[in-house]
Amino acid sequence: MKPEPINAGPLEDRVEALKPDDLTRALEEFRAVMTRDHAAALASCVHCGLCSETCHYYLATRRLDAIPAYKLGLVASVFRRHEGLLGKVAPGWVGARTLNHETIKAWIDALFGRCSLCGRCALNCTMGINITAAIRAARGVLAALDLVPPGLKSTVDTALIKGNNMGISENDFVETLAWLEGEMQSDAGFETARMYVEETGCRMLYTLNPREVMFFPLSIVAVAKIFHAAGESWTFSKDGFDVTNYGLYDGSDAHAGTMSGRLVTSMERLGAGTLVLAECGHGFNSNRWEAPQWLNRRYPFEVKSILQVVAGYLRDGRIKVDAAQNTQPVTLHDPCNLVRLGGIVEEQRYLLRHTARDFREMTPNREHNYCCGGGGGQLAMTNYADRRLEAGRIKADQIRRTGAKIVAVPCHNCIDQLMELNKHYGLGVELKTVCELVANALVVEP
Amino acid sequence: MTLLTWGVILSAGICLVALSALVARTFAFRAPSSLAATQGSAARGMRYAFGAGMLPTAKESARDHLMVWVTGMLYHAGIFAGLFYLAFTVIGFLPAAIVAALRVLIAVGAVAGLGLLARRIALPHLRQLSCADDFAANLIVDLFLTAAVIHSFVPTLRGPFYLVAILMFLYVPVGKIRHCFFFFYMRILFGTFFGRRGVLPHRGVREA
Ligand code: SF4
Ligand code: SF4
Repeated sequence: MKPEPINAGPLEDRVEALKPDDLTRALEEFRAVMTRDHAAALASCVHCGLCSETCHYYLATRRLDAIPAYKLGLVASVFRRHEGLLGKVAPGWVGARTLNHETIKAWIDALFGRCSLCGRCALNCTMGINITAAIRAARGVLAALDLVPPGLKSTVDTALIKGNNMGISENDFVETLAWLEGEMQSDAGFETARMYVEETGCRMLYTLNPREVMFFPLSIVAVAKIFHAAGESWTFSKDGFDVTNYGLYDGSDAHAGTMSGRLVTSMERLGAGTLVLAECGHGFNSNRWEAPQWLNRRYPFEVKSILQVVAGYLRDGRIKVDAAQNTQPVTLHDPCNLVRLGGIVEEQRYLLRHTARDFREMTPNREHNYCCGGGGGQLAMTNYADRRLEAGRIKADQIRRTGAKIVAVPCHNCIDQLMELNKHYGLGVELKTVCELVANALVVEP
Repeated sequence: MTLLTWGVILSAGICLVALSALVARTFAFRAPSSLAATQGSAARGMRYAFGAGMLPTAKESARDHLMVWVTGMLYHAGIFAGLFYLAFTVIGFLPAAIVAALRVLIAVGAVAGLGLLARRIALPHLRQLSCADDFAANLIVDLFLTAAVIHSFVPTLRGPFYLVAILMFLYVPVGKIRHCFFFFYMRILFGTFFGRRGVLPHRGVREA
């Protein structure tokens, strides 16, 4: 494999400064993060190249280093060099590479800089290789060497130190909720609606993306209104409220476990029955599917997406909606971590079919949908912003083809990326969460 | 039995043992855990992975490269036919009708293999993704298929045919042809991963 000239961007000097001991440690870490499934995956690629066009990075750029098999190959080549028979005796024959400075630079550039961990290649690989998991594992090696691009690293650090990725204090959080409660109660039909905090013994503990607190408070109000209309017993935790988990993206299971562990602690402290995850793709994948492994324990409680909960309300007649409240054509973005990697596929569609007059699918959709380009920590890694916007063109084209005026986006990370794509590609659409559309269509008795 | 016949049997045995050892060796790495409550069904996911999930209808990468997919299927059908033919020659059971049918499959497989090799050489990105092993593996298998076809017409050329077969069996575990074992491993993982999460098989349009 012939990599194009690469550099590690802002980490270039740090990589250059790595000493032989560091490289030995990297190799030890590589062996430590590998599971037997990773090991098998790294021995399985047949270099058929059929995964190329499944990746939005490749579709947008047609670059060799954007091909999923190339990215997988960067990891597999190290595995072959250090673990394979021919890789040890004839590395050139099987494309094996030593884990050295150049390899680490190539890893940073391609595995952090050209992958949003969206899983689309894994769905389409001829063999069935979970390319995404292998890339994340290799990111974990870089995280152990403290070689995570600065934006992503600072987001992780903030979450680890302050308890949430925006560094919101408990006081600010509680005060913002009190203010939002007042605003909500001024809406007809919601005079007695509450923002519950630190209630014990509730049926549900609700979590959110801290960006909602700072920039998208209407998303919080929308969910509180739906809970109120359904007569739900629910609460926030004042310290364990962050649904996001950037440990999924920096690849460190230890970081990820610390973040998800806070939600578990809140669940146990408040004695809630179900952990309800806000509209957040990677937050859902992290806390629903991955966290039990990170924490090495089975959860004694249920973990659900708010979309499952609200769809349940509508199905059971606990809320009533009127689609006439949302008359503009609406399309739906499928966040990779929620849909392809999370299995929440139909709930959002069920809700939109009942709450919007004109709901239009994108093509392709559901598990085949394209990544918006904002996942994998790309929004945080500002040094790769140009690549992110370029790769986002595939999603922008998808949206434009629907002719929709509103894009329902069940993920605040995706919303951030789509806001930028909206501006960059002149899409002229409005972005809303699914719950915002449901709340707008709620029929409440005065 | 001739020395070469024993050579074929021995090399095939070595190949199987080495492939099994390779898969077993992955177990030296830590076992992944799976502690999240299941939403779908791993068993259904696996059935899908080995059934509908391999078809172009389910897989965009196959759908968009239908010719490559079909060529790949023919290549693999040819390889299986070649292995059957080899086994028949070893046990000395060669009914004319079976030989004729296998010969067609093997010949088509050989042409398909050469087609895939040409594709690998012609497409710049595919060429850059490839290493020497990718070309060698294809060539060795193509050589085996060609030798099988020739032997089906000229049975006296058993020596060269068996030598090529021995070479191929010995190369299988060290190069990319090991995917003949890892394919099943990967499809099982694919099926259980997406099956457990309730992503695949696709649940179709339904009320939530
Ligand atoms: S996970 Fe997504 S972004 Fe990464 S290589 Fe695969 S398709 Fe491309
Ligand atoms: S589709 Fe799978 S086997 Fe083929 S090149 Fe891509 S990763 Fe490798």
